[in-house]
Amino acid sequence: MKLETTPKLTLFHCLNSFEETSSQIDGCEMKTVRMACSSMTKDIHLLKAFEAGADAVLVLVCPGKNCRHAEGGLRARKRVDYVKTILDAIGLDGRRLNIFNTTAKDKGSITEIIRNTIQDLQTMGPNPALNRLN
Amino acid sequence: MITASQKPINEIIGLVEPYKKVLILGCGTCVKTCFAGGEDEVAVLASALRLSFKKMARSVQIEEMTIERQCENEFIQEASESIKRNDAILSLACGAGVQALAKRFVKDVVLPGVNTTFIGIQERPGIFTEECSGCGNCGLATFGGVCPVTRCAKKLLNGPCGGSQKGVCEIHPDTPCAWHLIIERLTTLGQLDSLRTYIPPKNWNTSLSGGPRKLVREDHIL
Repeated sequence: MKLETTPKLTLFHCLNSFEETSSQIDGCEMKTVRMACSSMTKDIHLLKAFEAGADAVLVLVCPGKNCRHAEGGLRARKRVDYVKTILDAIGLDGRRLNIFNTTAKDKGSITEIIRNTIQDLQTMGPNPALNRLN
Repeated sequence: MITASQKPINEIIGLVEPYKKVLILGCGTCVKTCFAGGEDEVAVLASALRLSFKKMARSVQIEEMTIERQCENEFIQEASESIKRNDAILSLACGAGVQALAKRFVKDVVLPGVNTTFIGIQERPGIFTEECSGCGNCGLATFGGVCPVTRCAKKLLNGPCGGSQKGVCEIHPDTPCAWHLIIERLTTLGQLDSLRTYIPPKNWNTSLSGGPRKLVREDHIL
């Protein structure tokens, strides 16, 4: 199903992996959720973002072992992988949820991630759980 | 604790599909500890079901609640109002909890949301191992606190089979040999001689093999 409206993204990020001031990307409506550490990424929050209308959800975490709290990125990745399996099982498509290692300084990569997500949504279509009921 | 794992989401969808109002009832004790049916798992499952039913253009109301223990009437009572206003209860408790609900609410549909697995412990975060078979006749004192009935693949009571390699079971390579552990532990305790005592064949009448069991405490019955 092709996307006919402005895609809605929800972006969860560790405060060291993204700067909200640089978050405005043309062509999408984006909500950002700032976390003290990406280990605060919880499966319920990711699912609630889809319930709240997101077409795609992104999680940005610090690269590899650069997490200041040791394992934040690893924990976030495990939870993202788990929620992807749920999304696949219920037919929402796990590709709507992704996690990336970024640093706040690398604005170019972040912009590219968001643009790629918007592009992927053109083929995936809108969140299939929305607007089906009055 | 009693361990359990959540049923696959599509099996759960199939169970609750016929109903319009579903209460997901979590249990805050054993299944919470093994990440199968506590408050967090109730919330995640409720959200996944809501998304799934919306995708199917189905209107199903999902209510969430978690009580301390589903296997005790005193705690179950807390859920009675929520149970009344729903068509079905999806219990995330162990089989005992599901049946306790079914006994207490005879006219309500009670569905199991988890598969109950075993009596075990959390080895380390995310890994649970079976430690007790509930055989009804505990011999842990003889075996230094390591149960061969549960943890030896062959349930041997009079020493190792001889097939283990470097302390690992020959049947399950990812499982430590129970008899290796028993001998290590009794050596540490200075009680290795206790293994000289012959253990007669186990009487399984006290186990589930003898049919459903009942525990009676006369001093607590009025």
